[in-house]
Amino acid sequence: MSESRDVHINIPVLTRVEGEGALELDVVNGEIERLNLRIFEPPRLFEKFIEGYECNQVIDMVARICGICPVAYQMSAVQAFERLFGFEEPDWLRAMRRAMYCGEWLQSHALHIHLLAAPDFLGFDSAIAMARDYPDAVKRGLNLQTLGNDLIALFGGRSVHPVGVRVGGFYRAPREEEVAPILQRLRDALPATEALVAWTAGLDFPDDEQAFISVALSHPKEYAVGRGNLISGQGLETDISFYESFFHEHQMPYSTALHATLDGRPYLTGPLARINLNFHQLPKPVRDVMETCGIHFPSHNMFHSIVARAIELHFAVFEAVALLERYQVPQSSYIEVPPQEGNAFGCTEAPRGFLWHRYDVDQQGIIRFARIVPPTSQNQGRIEEDVRHSLEKLGLNASDEAIRLRAEQVIRNYDPCISCATHFLKLDINRR
Amino acid sequence: MIRVIGVGSPFGADQLGWMAIDHLATLGLVECELLKLDRPGSRLLDHFRDVSSVVVIDAVAVNDRPGGVSALSLSDLQQIQCTPSSHGFGLAETLALGGQLGKLPTDFHLIGIHTGETLSAVPILDLASLEALVLPLI
Repeated sequence: MSESRDVHINIPVLTRVEGEGALELDVVNGEIERLNLRIFEPPRLFEKFIEGYECNQVIDMVARICGICPVAYQMSAVQAFERLFGFEEPDWLRAMRRAMYCGEWLQSHALHIHLLAAPDFLGFDSAIAMARDYPDAVKRGLNLQTLGNDLIALFGGRSVHPVGVRVGGFYRAPREEEVAPILQRLRDALPATEALVAWTAGLDFPDDEQAFISVALSHPKEYAVGRGNLISGQGLETDISFYESFFHEHQMPYSTALHATLDGRPYLTGPLARINLNFHQLPKPVRDVMETCGIHFPSHNMFHSIVARAIELHFAVFEAVALLERYQVPQSSYIEVPPQEGNAFGCTEAPRGFLWHRYDVDQQGIIRFARIVPPTSQNQGRIEEDVRHSLEKLGLNASDEAIRLRAEQVIRNYDPCISCATHFLKLDINRR
Repeated sequence: MIRVIGVGSPFGADQLGWMAIDHLATLGLVECELLKLDRPGSRLLDHFRDVSSVVVIDAVAVNDRPGGVSALSLSDLQQIQCTPSSHGFGLAETLALGGQLGKLPTDFHLIGIHTGETLSAVPILDLASLEALVLPLI
């Protein structure tokens, strides 16, 4: 007969995530009494200090919110402004912004799979330790990350905090001789990305099915990245401008990041939510790889997030090849678009989930109010729900070390970017 | 050809690596490529390609002699806090990973500039010490 015990665990710094956070867990009489994902990184107040700047300045400013997903911030912002100003992207522009976005998915997913998440599944405490036994896997991750960064820089001038995106287009269109070598490297990477899907699917996953709501962008013509309506696995479909009517953010006393709910419930955004809702729109060759990997989607095992991420990485390379094969230098890389007054809404799929922006813009195109909802704050409630479920499934009589490791692994499944939401997990477990 | 890389950011003492590169750029060095990188994380390894000699300069949290310059070994790095990092993957982790994967240049040198007690203040960089340590490597 097992004996219940009271537990207090504090993970004071969560490693291998972006930003600073902690987990506090109290177990009393064998039940979880308190479980708080505590984000204590100070709020950065970006929304306030972009007030008073004009749209193109804001596109470059919001890129500074995140060193991992600056393209997402730029794309949500430029989409918002262009929707408000009545500008519809010409085909060339839409295709090349999507190609640039593929670069961000590629670098971010490659980093997370190989350096952050895989060590959990293979029993290492870091990618450095993992590199001793799996040097080729780690090299693959670094090479794919570099390729993604170079694809971003092709359009953005540099990979971290790129500067290429503007209202009406790009500041500069790359020359064909700049595109050709990247295109060839992307073609050469396809076999490795296909093999990556099978590699991740072959990892040892805990059996951990659970109910959750998936939310993602969806577009009738494509696997949604940079446009679409918001849909949920429970039947919601809405234009992004109605986000505030369905989704609600609230403050928790222990966190500087807001929690978000849909109909009062936590929800999931990110690769697994996107694959669950939109896998039928993946290009057939990518879907074929997905369907033969041995993991079936839709999946409600959050540990399958790493496989979903690998499928999206393969997709990003496949899609970027298809887009860049049609590359032609345009007559002009942008069209001047006069500003208009009104409320601007933008929403695109950042690597770790959808990123929603609202800007109130005056007649001169100056920002008077901004609201930015990043994916990690949206996932916060879902992460807490998942950690609770997963630890109860693991068994609360497990050792403190086993509980801490499982909690960290669960949290890393979400690839949280705590800096965006407002770094690492500290875990406090109290057993009383 | 040798590549000298300053790692840092625009903030406080973290910019000391960049300041070192700015100074070296005034010396008219030949056969020497100077680079300033903003918190590169694991991307630092990309900059070791196509070159056999590399010097990396970064701010290190050492209280002794603020602005002072020291040659460091990789094992020294495990004891010292370096540039703030992305995903907890800073200079020490990146160089450890590079070493594990055989991605470090054959001729590799690491120079640390002491921040002093606080990272928010920028100490006066000891240029004479910087030159004395870096120029013989070039």
